[in-house]
Amino acid sequence: MTDSTESPDLQRRSGLRRLKEGTYGGLFAACAAITLLTTVAIFVTLLSDAVVFFQEIPIAEFLTGTNWSPNPAGGGQAFGIIPLLIGTLVVTVTAAFIALPVGTLTAIYLSEYATPNARSILKPLLEILAGIPTVVYGYFALVYITPALKATLFPEMSTFNALSASIMVGIMTIPMVSSISEDAMSAVPDDLRQAGYGLGATKFEVSTGIVVPASISGIASSYILAISRAIGETMIVVVAMGAQARMPAVQEVAFGIPFVNPADVLLQSGMTITVAMVQIAGGDLTGGSIPYDSMFALGLTLFVVTLVMNVISDIIAQRYREEY
Amino acid sequence: MATDNANAGGFGEVSRLRGVVFEYLSLGASVAGLVALGVLLVYVTIDAFDLANASPEWLLTYFLTLVVPFLAFCLYSANDPTVTRRALGALGGGLVAVAALFTAIEAFVAQIPRLSWQLAYLFVVATPVTAYLAYVGSRGRVGAVGFGLMGRLVGGAALGLAVGTLFLVFDPLVWFLAYTLGVVPAVALYAYGARRSAPRAVAAAIPVGLVGVVVAVVLRGVVTTYPSDLIIYAWTLAVPIAIAGWRVVADRGSRAAAVAAGGVPLAVAVAGGFLAGGFGVPGPTALIVLVTVGVPTAVYVHRAIDEGDGVVGLALPVLLVGGALVGALVVEAWGVPAPDPWLDAGYVTESPSSTAIEAGLYPAIVGSVIIIALVAVLSFVLGVGTSVFLEEYMPESGVLGSLTRLLQVNIANLAAIPSVVYGLLGLGLFANLLGFGLGTAVTASLTLSLLILPITIISAQEAIRSVPDDLRRGSDAMGATRWQTTKNVVLPEAFPGILTGTILALGRAIGETAPLLMIGAATTVFSAPDSLFSRFSAMPMQIYAWANFPQAEFRYGVVAAGVITLLIILIGMNGTAILLRNRAERGN
Repeated sequence: MTDSTESPDLQRRSGLRRLKEGTYGGLFAACAAITLLTTVAIFVTLLSDAVVFFQEIPIAEFLTGTNWSPNPAGGGQAFGIIPLLIGTLVVTVTAAFIALPVGTLTAIYLSEYATPNARSILKPLLEILAGIPTVVYGYFALVYITPALKATLFPEMSTFNALSASIMVGIMTIPMVSSISEDAMSAVPDDLRQAGYGLGATKFEVSTGIVVPASISGIASSYILAISRAIGETMIVVVAMGAQARMPAVQEVAFGIPFVNPADVLLQSGMTITVAMVQIAGGDLTGGSIPYDSMFALGLTLFVVTLVMNVISDIIAQRYREEY
Repeated sequence: MATDNANAGGFGEVSRLRGVVFEYLSLGASVAGLVALGVLLVYVTIDAFDLANASPEWLLTYFLTLVVPFLAFCLYSANDPTVTRRALGALGGGLVAVAALFTAIEAFVAQIPRLSWQLAYLFVVATPVTAYLAYVGSRGRVGAVGFGLMGRLVGGAALGLAVGTLFLVFDPLVWFLAYTLGVVPAVALYAYGARRSAPRAVAAAIPVGLVGVVVAVVLRGVVTTYPSDLIIYAWTLAVPIAIAGWRVVADRGSRAAAVAAGGVPLAVAVAGGFLAGGFGVPGPTALIVLVTVGVPTAVYVHRAIDEGDGVVGLALPVLLVGGALVGALVVEAWGVPAPDPWLDAGYVTESPSSTAIEAGLYPAIVGSVIIIALVAVLSFVLGVGTSVFLEEYMPESGVLGSLTRLLQVNIANLAAIPSVVYGLLGLGLFANLLGFGLGTAVTASLTLSLLILPITIISAQEAIRSVPDDLRRGSDAMGATRWQTTKNVVLPEAFPGILTGTILALGRAIGETAPLLMIGAATTVFSAPDSLFSRFSAMPMQIYAWANFPQAEFRYGVVAAGVITLLIILIGMNGTAILLRNRAERGN
């Protein structure tokens, strides 16, 4: 716009118009501010109740305690997060054993081998895996996977167990791994592939020896995102894993090396951080009790863990990205 | 690529085995998750419709009366001999293959629980072939007309049910007064002004409407006698829809056809509304459903006949209904043992119960619809506002540019926070601190809106970013202000993309359970919520509650029916989103 006096007056009613422009701009800014406020609100809500909780229970006791029983029948509450961390770890690691290899292979197939036609069918279908409500996955695990495993492989399995829940969490997170990894692999320039072929490499060697290393930062960040998703997953474990916070029995094999029988962890019920929160939420929710506050302490733990993992994944993706 | 050539002129041999194995391994990995999900979906469908107890005769009867005519219709529409040959080959060959495979597995390995070879054939061969033929057939002219009509019937019914559900929580009397005193005069003024080109009347429409709405809210406390609900809905909803249908037809056809397209569905709907009470269906709901189904159908039928191409397609609904009726008659006449599906009309219209036979999902469905409607409004407004701000108003560099980056990073992080933590936010902030109450529809809607906001924003940003910059520059060159450019150029161009993203995000919201658990939503309520502040249940909550029941009828029947209901609604929403996207892409 020009302020020159010779030009015709293009800005008649500019006062009203500027007010209108300003109003709309302000409204949009307010919408954007809500996203920032949400983060602040989450943090403040979690922290304010968690602080109350940590006044009652010292942080050291919370982080190192091996007993979690917020509402015991006979009194004597205990708030040790270790059993919950073990439960979360078991689910996450088992799910990762499924999601990471399958997701990576899927990404390689989609980016290197699939015809455009097959890709256009497979990609939306894979997104369906992430779109199914998690409570439905939990129901599948409880009602179909557990009986099937019990009838075939593990007759001693209990009705609520970590294994079938983890399998479902793994299947659910496949598309997270595959879509982000595939994006990274598709971004590898074709020159590198052609150079590989020029050196006499086979398609297999190009895929595993050139494309995967070149896109390793994207793959790694997809792994971290998928694991962080598995940590925060709630409904599958709530429905299928049961709610028994327990420490696995540590046996001792030769030479004093401690050893935990995987069957003891995987085939039995367990409790993750998210399950513990839901279990407390099933009771009193009006506030003011220690279990209520402990929910927020757990939420804060979860929030911090997932946030840190996202930041790490971001840093990996940014710093180690190959610029072509 | 031709690099796997063995023995290329004395360079030695390269084994292809490793590469081939790897290719098939990765292909297997790509479909492994899908196959697992597919098998689970087959089983849950079998349970929901009690197909395990369906006799082969029953399956055969309906295959002949319902599936075969439908396949024939699709083949007729496709009008392509190769498609016919391929379909018949798949159906016939699949029959033999599935039967042989099943016999082999059961003879040598083990009994497969609750899956007969007939059911396996149905799911593995018949359903995919039918879907393929429906896809191919819908591209033919006849099929396009038929499927278009079916789409309007189904979509109209879904929309009518949703609108009827929403009116459960709003005060229809306020709506009646606001409509009569505000909306009608405003629209009348606008129409008059537009027709006589009197800009003053057009300008007065909005103030008049606002005054009317305010007056209506005031009068609500004063006026004591009102017409019956049925008349209110007929006047406030059915009449405008009928007028819209009349207008659409009048634009392109004769006056008599226009009156028929608007008037006949209106008359049928009003009559249906009065008669519905006799069948135990609420009159207003019947009226709304009939009019939202009838008017688009009538308009569509008029257009199909007007164009005179593919009119045969209009017979598709008749074909399907007729097939179902004939099938039912045959089953009845020969006394073929029929399965007793868990998912039936009673299931979606009745309240939960402690006995599996009587249990229903109705209050939970109503709860879900109400929450999703509120979430849709909130997340759409906030999402579009934020993305417009980030894309159109904020610079990408400088001090403000770093603020933009901060907002972007923040949104990306919000998208990754577990949903259960959002539940804690809803519990601490909305339910307890702001006092919206534990487990009320308002608390749930606010929580879920914040939960899906990042997804909405990210997809809306992509839609806005894909608007070509030339259009913006063109608008700027005409002297438009930033808001005018946004309103007249960017938003209309990006609208289909924004809508698609919002619907997909809403699909996420409708299945969320963990936040609802945290804000204390009821797992089971026995009557539908009647205000925004009453306790409610939602479909996933009810599924969660029932999944904990130990009885087999619940685990393998009632919950399966709930899961199928939820998935059907999800497929409907996602299908709508994909249709919108495809239409927008074709339009460009």
